Amino acid sequence: MKRGAIMQLPAYYEFCNSVKTIVGHKALEQIPQSLKAINAQRPMIITDKGVEQAGLIKIVQAAMQKSKLKAAALFDSVPADSDVKVVNEVAKIYRAKKCDSIIAVGGGSVLDTAKGANILVSENAADLMQFVGYGNVKRKLRPFVAIPTTAGTGSEVTSVAVIANHEKNIKMAFGSLFLLPDIAIIDSRMTKTLPPTITAFTGMDALTHAVEAYFCLAKNPLSDTTALAAIQLIAQNLVNVVKKPSDLDGRLALALASNLAGMAFSNSMVGLVHNIGHAIGGVCGVPHGVCMNILLPYGLEYNMHKRSQYIGELLYPLAGEEVYNKTPKKERPLKTVEYIRKLIQDLHDATDGKHPRFLKEVYDRTGKQMIPKEKLPDIARTAMSDPAQFYNPEDLDYNDYIMVLEAAWEGIPLDRKKIKKG
Amino acid sequence: MNALQYPEIKPKKKFIKRIYIAVMLWVVGRAIQAAAKVDREVKEEFAKLKDNFLLKMWIWPNGPAMYVGKTKDGKVKYLGWKDKGYKPTLTMTIKSVEAAMLLFTFQEGTAISTARNRLVVDGDLPDACALVRILNIVEVYLLPKIIAKLAVKRYPKWSQMNPLRKHFGRILIYVRAFTF
Repeated sequence: MKRGAIMQLPAYYEFCNSVKTIVGHKALEQIPQSLKAINAQRPMIITDKGVEQAGLIKIVQAAMQKSKLKAAALFDSVPADSDVKVVNEVAKIYRAKKCDSIIAVGGGSVLDTAKGANILVSENAADLMQFVGYGNVKRKLRPFVAIPTTAGTGSEVTSVAVIANHEKNIKMAFGSLFLLPDIAIIDSRMTKTLPPTITAFTGMDALTHAVEAYFCLAKNPLSDTTALAAIQLIAQNLVNVVKKPSDLDGRLALALASNLAGMAFSNSMVGLVHNIGHAIGGVCGVPHGVCMNILLPYGLEYNMHKRSQYIGELLYPLAGEEVYNKTPKKERPLKTVEYIRKLIQDLHDATDGKHPRFLKEVYDRTGKQMIPKEKLPDIARTAMSDPAQFYNPEDLDYNDYIMVLEAAWEGIPLDRKKIKKG
Repeated sequence: MNALQYPEIKPKKKFIKRIYIAVMLWVVGRAIQAAAKVDREVKEEFAKLKDNFLLKMWIWPNGPAMYVGKTKDGKVKYLGWKDKGYKPTLTMTIKSVEAAMLLFTFQEGTAISTARNRLVVDGDLPDACALVRILNIVEVYLLPKIIAKLAVKRYPKWSQMNPLRKHFGRILIYVRAFTF
């Protein structure tokens, strides 16, 4: 039997993860030693109001004080959408307080803000613009510890940051291996207070990272291993944790899954689901995880004719050995999609209908529909300018985007006969 | 210690491969200019790009390179292979001669080349997306189907590019690209 018949190895691939990851129920107790190891004596804590009010900073500070180590500054005003002005403000405080390192405690926005501020203070620069793009941060930055408080973005192990410039109405993307934090600490106490709805869609965000990393064009054997482990952890724990938020073992499993999925997609990139999700976020302001959750089955269906083997393989970590073995090989790809749709439905039921299944079900806090059907053409046009499409196995033109969006809006499976095949 | 005992190792020049790549870049550059006049879709893509759009496609670290940009009157022009102090708004860097050979001998399409991190884009990402679409159309015009299928993710169907448009456009692009 040919070797390639078992696992198709790409002719070339790259993988990097240099982050020391500390995982455990009380992993934060390791923070004094961790800071000492990276020679951090005057750390600045960067977080947001929600994290602060949930009492999570107190847990971090208590762990630090055991070694008489104090934060030299605390910035707790990172907005929900990272902003260049805030990055500048953080850098200003960092310099004024003579800090020598950063501890970022929060979700994706906090971690991205901290990464941006770390560029400014390490490069002694005033303007982030000169570092926009891939590879423009060219040297080691200041010691950086990332403590995620959501189990979704995986930012603690990614080499990218996205920071908005609201004045110019643009999002600036930064990519460099130097943006990888030195240490990531995953402590179950940090995600314990996440409400069920946020737990549900951040978990689906992590699942999407892992699934897209596994079937899109830059997949490789190293990212595959972390992606598969992440998918299994999410499949086994997400619904349970949404139903029982105090389940600390489940919380830890989901936080680890997010970390593993982050490691996978940081190296293998993502495809159609993120492509359209970014556009919906940009046009309608819908939270990223919500878009990922709704679009994931459509991303699989759209690419199935090209990646049926890989999509079929996902059934094993999703549904377990028994279901995988009972399902004929030909039927596994469709069963994978069916299983993900069932997972979305289970989350919908577990959150009393607050977890949206389709685009038309996404409402804001005032009850207003966030994605009116007439916005779909705008979303399609915006998606055509998003680079995540590069890594999607099948090509997309405007009409393809509309086809996927209309199906995801109505909540009907894609008519796979209508997908154009080259 | 005599430092002369440890001479600097200089990479081989790979002349033949460089010449092949330079010719391919010239052909692609001229074909983009021609396609921008002949093909409606390419024309529309360029119309959406900013007025000072200037593409540099080159092989790291010493070339060869090619420049394509929009002129003041909005026309798309192949600007040659020499850097005449241009300020590219979009730079596509192919990381090595070998990576460029894979791309220009169509052993790897643009998408796979990007996925394998052999190709780095610097500039506005929406412009990069538009450029990839333009390159795909140009490749479909320039190459026979059997080769173009290796270069693009999805070879266009009748509904996207009918044979009349394809063959007529191909003739016009070849004529325009190879005549001065």
